[in-house]
Amino acid sequence: MLLKLSLSSMRKMFKDYLVLLFGLTISIAIFYMFETLAQNQAFIESNSMISAIVFVFHVGTFILGAITVFYIFYATSFILTLRQKEMGMYMTLGAKKHKVTQLMFFETFFIGIVSLMIGLTVGVGLAKGIAELFMWQLDFSGEGFEALYPPSMITTIIFYVVLFFLTSIVNAGKIARKSVLNLLHAEQKQDHVKVKGKKTFIGVVLAVILIGVGYYAMINMGQLEHYGLILAAITIVPGTYLMFISFLPWFVKKLKGNRSLNEKGLNSFTLGQLRFRMLNLTKVLGTVAMLIAMGLGAMTAGISFYHNVELQASAFYANDAAIHQPTEEDETALANMNITEQNTYHYKVNDQGVYFLKEDLLENPPMIKQVDPTSMEIPEGTRISESLPEAKYKFEELPDAWSTALSMEMNASSSMFGGKSIYVVDKGNYHDISADETSVELLQVDNFTAHLSQFETISENQQELAENYRGEGAETIPGKYGNYVGFKAISSGTIFMGIFLGVAFLMMMASVLMFKLLSTATTDTHRYSMLRKIGVRKSLLVKSIYRELFLLFLFPALVGLVHVLIGMQMFSFIIIEPYTKIWMPISIFLVIYGLYFWITVKMYKRIVLPKEA
Amino acid sequence: MGTTVVNVKDVQKVFGKRNENQYRALNGVSFNIQEGEFVGVMGPSGAGKTTLLNVVSTLDKPTGGAIQIAGTDITHMKQGQLADFRSEQLGFIFQDFNLLENLTVYENIALPLSLQGVPSRKIKPSVQEVAAKLGITNILEKYPATISGGQKQRAAAARALVHEPAIILADEPTGALDSKSAKSLMEAMVHLHKNHHVSIMLVTHDPLSASYCDRILFIQDGELYKEIFRKGSRNEFHQTILDALSEFTSPDEVE
Repeated sequence: MLLKLSLSSMRKMFKDYLVLLFGLTISIAIFYMFETLAQNQAFIESNSMISAIVFVFHVGTFILGAITVFYIFYATSFILTLRQKEMGMYMTLGAKKHKVTQLMFFETFFIGIVSLMIGLTVGVGLAKGIAELFMWQLDFSGEGFEALYPPSMITTIIFYVVLFFLTSIVNAGKIARKSVLNLLHAEQKQDHVKVKGKKTFIGVVLAVILIGVGYYAMINMGQLEHYGLILAAITIVPGTYLMFISFLPWFVKKLKGNRSLNEKGLNSFTLGQLRFRMLNLTKVLGTVAMLIAMGLGAMTAGISFYHNVELQASAFYANDAAIHQPTEEDETALANMNITEQNTYHYKVNDQGVYFLKEDLLENPPMIKQVDPTSMEIPEGTRISESLPEAKYKFEELPDAWSTALSMEMNASSSMFGGKSIYVVDKGNYHDISADETSVELLQVDNFTAHLSQFETISENQQELAENYRGEGAETIPGKYGNYVGFKAISSGTIFMGIFLGVAFLMMMASVLMFKLLSTATTDTHRYSMLRKIGVRKSLLVKSIYRELFLLFLFPALVGLVHVLIGMQMFSFIIIEPYTKIWMPISIFLVIYGLYFWITVKMYKRIVLPKEA
Repeated sequence: MGTTVVNVKDVQKVFGKRNENQYRALNGVSFNIQEGEFVGVMGPSGAGKTTLLNVVSTLDKPTGGAIQIAGTDITHMKQGQLADFRSEQLGFIFQDFNLLENLTVYENIALPLSLQGVPSRKIKPSVQEVAAKLGITNILEKYPATISGGQKQRAAAARALVHEPAIILADEPTGALDSKSAKSLMEAMVHLHKNHHVSIMLVTHDPLSASYCDRILFIQDGELYKEIFRKGSRNEFHQTILDALSEFTSPDEVE
């Protein structure tokens, strides 16, 4: 009988439960998505540039797990607040306490299992959809990635069943401990604001120390390696939560303490709301900040890797391409590019060797890059200034700069000419060589990645030419384009993972905050109607809502952003310039976040603002 | 004395749409309240007391008739203007206190002033003055959750008074209080009325609270049924009220 009653009332409160179900479902889906990558060891190992990638994912699982535990415990306690009044009613009508306790247990567990089933389905769908979208975008085959991955499914199920079991016990226990009257009047109870100065101070200091240690570990990731990652994970997560639990309430209290600010218009109400909210929200805000940090971090890392491909490709070459004996097809390709520099160098090829005309080289000395092995910096291109006084040089006799120019920039090496020797000779000697004259073009363009298709054509033609000289199937022609293709192949897996996870985490973040704000909105309704009664204009109420929610959105975003900015240091040993294109993921994030803020305000307004005739 | 603060003329309020089941909550009610008067409104449950208070307090619009408060016709004002009007001219005391529990007592009392843009340095003396009048100076920094019902209602009264409104509208202010707190609250209101010439309109069904008024309007079934004036002592007036109540046609609705 009781079961029937509770089922029918659950149906009645379907709307409230929908918010809860949505929140749980997203959490489960994201967890599953993460695990499809984390547990697919073969895939991540073969597709990553980071050797310890499996370990990175272990740490990631730990962090996500910790966040999820926080979130699920919070979300299921929401069931309790929804149901306790009715449970109290059953008890006044004569239901036994252990019956009601049982009921609470089963309800919580039931909702958990339902959301687990929906969540897994959604997770598989999302994993497939997002994976296909980005694989297509990145031109990445993603072999070995499976959207429906049984081991991850099992992990997710075990993790959540245990979690739901625990939270069900907690909920049942809470019901068991409360008296009938407490249950009946639960809604009228208010939380008491208590900010103890000393405790807060210790909390803030501890949070700062923890986060400081974590930042130190991230900045020095190169030296600390695995330990650094572990250290960062176990310090930053609790540090962030502590920050929100201790510092923020104190901060709002300080704001409120400023009389002239507090007593202006509705400010006292806005801040009062904020202060009361903050107490319930600290953990959620901490969770959101962590999710922002992880999501934005993963996305930033992914995009940086993408950007890094071109940087790495250009690390060794000052010129974008060298074209030996350009064909008509090459000329067409050239015509379609925005060329910033183009030099022609003549040479002759006979059976013994390849002879470059010295005067050509000296007239337009080529740019080269000299890599300094001790530095992470990309070398700047420099123009050769050394002279070549002798009449004839063998390749080995050339000054360093010139041999670099010939072998690297012009690709005058065995990969083009096979076993032939390379010479640089003056006009007189050049004339005496009986062979057809030909030339090589060195060019630089304004935007390398904009002309990839042309470079591909050029590279293919060069490869044919090389096969002519060498009489065998040559491997990829060295040069900037060759490097680019090579680097892209090995990093696109990492890029894919970064973006995939970034999107997943940001989605979870959105659902967490929205769920929290909207689930508490109904209790705020009477405050707004009271304000209306004492004569507050609607526009003022709206302004207050915007301000309050804005601040609530602002804090976790700030903390998350700082985490990401510092966290990118982690990659400085593998990515050349981790910060160059950081505005891109940040603006993507800001747009999503802003949009999401706007939706929350709209929905919140609809719930709390009194309807006026 | 002598100026009319509230002028209610032939006010009608019909709930429900046309062609549907209509309910006539107010049926042509007219009365005046002079400045500095303490008027009670009584009547059995469902007589239209709360509806009357709602239309006078601009929270609800009458379907017919006219209401003037402090010389302003409020029946044709827009929502925004009404909100401003409420915040400037009216003070509210509700049965369930309606204090904002996320603000301290001080902040609750200060709110109407902040809303009118009174500078912070002028707010403090006003709040303290009104708190002293109501004897709640020592609880100003507390939150509503930590004080007693009587204290809450005094705080609510202080909030209603602080911006010196044209009239205070009180809806069953003693309804949720024990008899001792109720008595002291009523005495505080009489004190305000006597010494500070505050005009008060009190809606109640408690004869004891009503006996503090100068004049009582009885409402039944949406119409003004009787009007009695206080002559002599409060105890005598209490008896007069009880007698008047017993005259009602449906005595079982009267406690």
